[in-house]
Amino acid sequence: MDHTDTDATPTGAHGAPEDPKAYVEQVMAEIAEEVRLRRSSGDLPPKLERELDELFLAHSPVAGRGGDLGEALRMVDAATFIDPVVPVESERAAGQFVKKGMRSLLLWYVGWVTHQMSQSASAVSRALHIVDERLTELERRVEVQRVPDAGVIEFPSLHGPDSWWVEPAVASLAKAPGRVLHAACGDGWLVRRIVAAGGDAYGVDPRPRQVDVPGSGPSDLREAAVVDHLRAVAPAALGGIVLSATVEGMAGGERAQLLAAVGTRLAPGGTFVVHSVSRTSWDAADAPAETDLAPGRPLRPEAWCRLLEDSGYQAEARQGPGGNDFLVVATRDAVTAPYAPSGR
Amino acid sequence: MSGKIAFVTPRYGTEIMGGAESAVRRLAEHLRTETGWETEVHTTCALDPHTWANDLEEGTSHLHGVTVHRHASAQGRLPDFYGLDGLLRLAPQLTTRAQAERWVDYNGPVSPQLVEAVCASDADVVALTPYLYHPTVATIGRVPMPAVFHPAAHDEPALYFPVFRGTFGDADAFCYYTAAERALVERMYPVADRPQIVLGLGVGESEGTGRPGGELVGLGDRPYVVSVGRVDEHKGSKMLAAYFATYKERHPGPLALVLVGPVSSELPAHPDIVVTGAVEEADKWDIVRDALVAVSPSALESFSLVVIEAWVDRVPVLVNGSCGPTREHCERSGGGLWFSSYPEFDAVLERLLADDALRAELGGRGRAYVDGHFRWPVLVRRYDAFVTTVAERGRGAPGLF
Repeated sequence: MDHTDTDATPTGAHGAPEDPKAYVEQVMAEIAEEVRLRRSSGDLPPKLERELDELFLAHSPVAGRGGDLGEALRMVDAATFIDPVVPVESERAAGQFVKKGMRSLLLWYVGWVTHQMSQSASAVSRALHIVDERLTELERRVEVQRVPDAGVIEFPSLHGPDSWWVEPAVASLAKAPGRVLHAACGDGWLVRRIVAAGGDAYGVDPRPRQVDVPGSGPSDLREAAVVDHLRAVAPAALGGIVLSATVEGMAGGERAQLLAAVGTRLAPGGTFVVHSVSRTSWDAADAPAETDLAPGRPLRPEAWCRLLEDSGYQAEARQGPGGNDFLVVATRDAVTAPYAPSGR
Repeated sequence: MSGKIAFVTPRYGTEIMGGAESAVRRLAEHLRTETGWETEVHTTCALDPHTWANDLEEGTSHLHGVTVHRHASAQGRLPDFYGLDGLLRLAPQLTTRAQAERWVDYNGPVSPQLVEAVCASDADVVALTPYLYHPTVATIGRVPMPAVFHPAAHDEPALYFPVFRGTFGDADAFCYYTAAERALVERMYPVADRPQIVLGLGVGESEGTGRPGGELVGLGDRPYVVSVGRVDEHKGSKMLAAYFATYKERHPGPLALVLVGPVSSELPAHPDIVVTGAVEEADKWDIVRDALVAVSPSALESFSLVVIEAWVDRVPVLVNGSCGPTREHCERSGGGLWFSSYPEFDAVLERLLADDALRAELGGRGRAYVDGHFRWPVLVRRYDAFVTTVAERGRGAPGLF
């Protein structure tokens, strides 16, 4: 099975994207455009849309509609006008007559109050739109300067069950005081190896097609980025953490976040294993194209040892054959403060 | 592995349609027939989830080969539950542990017998579901054997109550219906390091008998969209009826909406909306098969078997966009679309009804998704391997606590 990602989305026989998510998102994008056109043409009376929105929201999840600020603002706008003309329908014969009379008598008063409320709501709405515009502009500027996540960058000759570093990595985890996490786990080759050696391991990998849940068999493999995953792990819950094909292209900020998360989730006596390619391999002509696109470059083994020792680990680096890659094994007796770059 | 697994659920039986209780019955039955696992169930004598009254006889019986131990409830749902529930729903994150514990007690069913029986069971593994009720909360921390938790969680106020932190924390392993459910749980509780599986539910082939669905619901040849499940305001039925009525005002024509399922909330009468009430299983399949679109309006699903069943017959689905699990099904399968407002509902439904090729493409992709993920033999093999691993790890294995 080919897991190579390409920029172009493969298409099926009728030109529709083969990828299910891309396919439905394409259709939903067309729907969104249709909805936008209809809204701009005043297709649906605002009062009716508001009533229908309330029905939708009545039993929506607590977390709401995915934090879509534009949609929330649209609903604020729809709720801005407060109608002073109260409905007069009644199930009793005289009810409608009485209600109508009360409405006529009180309309001047109710109208005065609701007018001020609508004005107040309108002022809030205008302020929120200004905030929205400024946020949008800020997001645009931040996006220009954003440092992309490094992602997983595998070197086929260095990442696999026959690689030289697998045996020492597995041996270093023999006494791990709890479950061992491997990122990026791919199809689970290292997880199976650790389990075969008597350990208790699982893996995460952010690449969707690598970790196909139904086909994953008995191994515990999940589709997740390692930092996101670690945030959902209890403090000191893991006996070992192995990172391979993960850290080489990271920029400083992303690496600091990862090390902070590792530092708090690793149990006392736990083992932290980092496999990294060397700069020589990174810069080689046959290196994967993702190396050019990554925001960072591999650290040297000495830098890794320094980083980890500054965070309370005892670290040891081992060079691979030909200087193509290296393995750092670090242990720590106690939970210490999360990693922070020196000088801060 | 051959061993014994004990399922714990507040209700159990063929009378119970849908929900986590129905799901666990199907899983227990398939596990018994398709693997070496011996299965037993510990449950109460209740059928009605609103009262938990002891409707069924206490004692041990067998249902489709599964041993069922029914324990009487000492207390059903208390009248004070509704007042407390209403209060805590206003700010669930601010609920105190004492309030939340009271909420669980008032919600019921409280059966000390059940808790003691599960703890004394000789099962190798215990599987508890759903997270919401007293049997799970009271049992999961006390059992001596490894506990697999099937939370059936969705984003509702109760999930934020602090009492459930202990419930989730005491699980040795998790079985989720969807990745969206897993993401929700892991956003709430730091349990991501525990062994887990995203399993879902299995389906078989259509049980329809080939009778025209339109005739079964009195619509003859009129085209219709269908929504299967309990007709209940909380399930989005009222919203769907209002959305459909608005749609028909804006797009007059022969199209009808058919709601299939037991009625908990009466809907306003509408000439183009048919509410069938509960129907025979075969009729349900026939009605769904001939629908143009199957709609799942509920925002609070943890799996939604009706969506999967619609795809068995290649019927495209339209789901509530704020429901993580059903939307996940659509995105992973390419078999359905979603709406998050009336204008979206209108535009999507109009497009689906007008575009035969789109419906066929969505339905075909949905069917492929079902075949690849939700057939019982595949599911049971995966669950077998999973619980075997959990049993081998034991209770409270290193790293779990």
